[in-house]
Amino acid sequence: MDSFFHLVIFAGAIAGASTGLLGVYIVGMRMPFIGITISHAAMAGTIFFCLLGFNPALGAITASIITSMSLAAIQPEKSRLDTNVGLAIVFSLMLGLTFLGIGLMQGSRSEVLGLLWGSILFVHKKTVVVITIMSLLLAVFTITFNKELKVLLFSRSIAAATGVHERFVYCLFLALCGIVLSVNLSIIGGLLIFALITNPAAAAYQICRGHKSVVIVSTSLGALSAVGGFLISFYSNLPTGACIVITSTVIFVLAVAFRWAIGKS
Amino acid sequence: MKGSTLELSGIEVRRSRRTILNIDNLKIPSGQFVGLIGPNGAGKTTLLNVCCGLISPRRGFIKFNNTDLSLLMSWKKSNLRKQIGYIPQATEYNAELPFTLQEVAAMGRISVKPLLSRLNREDYERIDYWIDKLGLTSRRNQTFRSLSGGEQQKALIVRAMVQDPAILMLDEPGSNLDFNWKYQISSIIDRLYQQTHITVLMVSHETDLLPPCCNRIVLMHEGQILADDTAEKVFASDALERAYECRIETFNISGRKYIISKKQV
Repeated sequence: MDSFFHLVIFAGAIAGASTGLLGVYIVGMRMPFIGITISHAAMAGTIFFCLLGFNPALGAITASIITSMSLAAIQPEKSRLDTNVGLAIVFSLMLGLTFLGIGLMQGSRSEVLGLLWGSILFVHKKTVVVITIMSLLLAVFTITFNKELKVLLFSRSIAAATGVHERFVYCLFLALCGIVLSVNLSIIGGLLIFALITNPAAAAYQICRGHKSVVIVSTSLGALSAVGGFLISFYSNLPTGACIVITSTVIFVLAVAFRWAIGKS
Repeated sequence: MKGSTLELSGIEVRRSRRTILNIDNLKIPSGQFVGLIGPNGAGKTTLLNVCCGLISPRRGFIKFNNTDLSLLMSWKKSNLRKQIGYIPQATEYNAELPFTLQEVAAMGRISVKPLLSRLNREDYERIDYWIDKLGLTSRRNQTFRSLSGGEQQKALIVRAMVQDPAILMLDEPGSNLDFNWKYQISSIIDRLYQQTHITVLMVSHETDLLPPCCNRIVLMHEGQILADDTAEKVFASDALERAYECRIETFNISGRKYIISKKQV
């Protein structure tokens, strides 16, 4: 295995760890659909910024932040719109815009379609640096606002009623969520990101006791899914994305089996 | 601990073009225990949610310690709400997450700590004090989800009390509990009130859950206050029959008020 693969493994580990960490909050707040919604928003942003001749990466981040902020505006108790229903509506809009943009594109569309699946094998050093910085930013955010995020996970009503600055922290979280998902898009892909957000966190929630252990286990399982999936695909010559998704699912099944075996509460 | 005063005036809440809450005036002086009773759909929970700021009324004002909440920016409103201990109904919190009992209890301290600060040794001493006081010492490191319904309710009381609230708001604290646990929870609330004399606002559709220390009853019907007086006077009046729209028999056993439909007798 040459040095290029070390970079791929490092990129996979960082991307998997950051999505695993995001998953703790996304799954805990029962809105796993947010990953696929934001990734499609990022794709739509990329395509339209490409069409307009702007930097596509900037398009991905802009569209992701706008989408996550519009999700933050949904207040179920006031709008009588469940967050997941809101996510589905925004997702369908983003999907429509993505396909509209693809239809308007001239020439090769392979680069844009690659965003759907991601291309970890063709990762650039620059991308890895950006992903690492954003992942560190996410880690700093979760450490800094750890206590508020815990109350948000447990109950947004309690947080709001008892004076926790829940809207401020929730909006910051969603904005950061948009940025982290959009920078990970090029290597994980819009479809795979869904699995890496949901499966490691769901597995951690099965076997852990206490929030700290959930955070550590989910982040580790995210990295393990990405790296393990890549290594399986490398040695068995199978598609990388599919191997990552299947690995993360197998990890979840093993976590369920482990919980069942030891009868852990 | 010192209680807070709460004053509501000209409050109107509308849903689907229908007024679901219409309160001309309700003043709760410091240190009073107020029981909010009434049939299903009377507006009890809506009124409690207005009091703790989860629902914004269409018109009217809420004064908390003589400060009009409508005149405050949301940041300052949040700071004022740090004095509210809130115990919601079971549907309002995520009991499936693997938080330990100590973590759930610590959320009460999180409410009073400023952003970017951490819980210190005194905070944890406070948390442990209340865990011990409510007899949950042996359950400290157990997950919240593994506790029985009654123990979960006790844990939520601990969470509210570690906050050192000036006003405690409880929404149906006996729902989903068997009669023995209901009595235990009611007795705990009674004891806490006797010891602290904080202001308490408790919603309960089961009148026997209101502890003997409850010195004022607000009877609600169709979003309005039908009676507001001492427990003895409200239970002796015909307002109960008007609210429940049936003939009612009332019993008083050791200071607890029981009501049943005369058809049951």
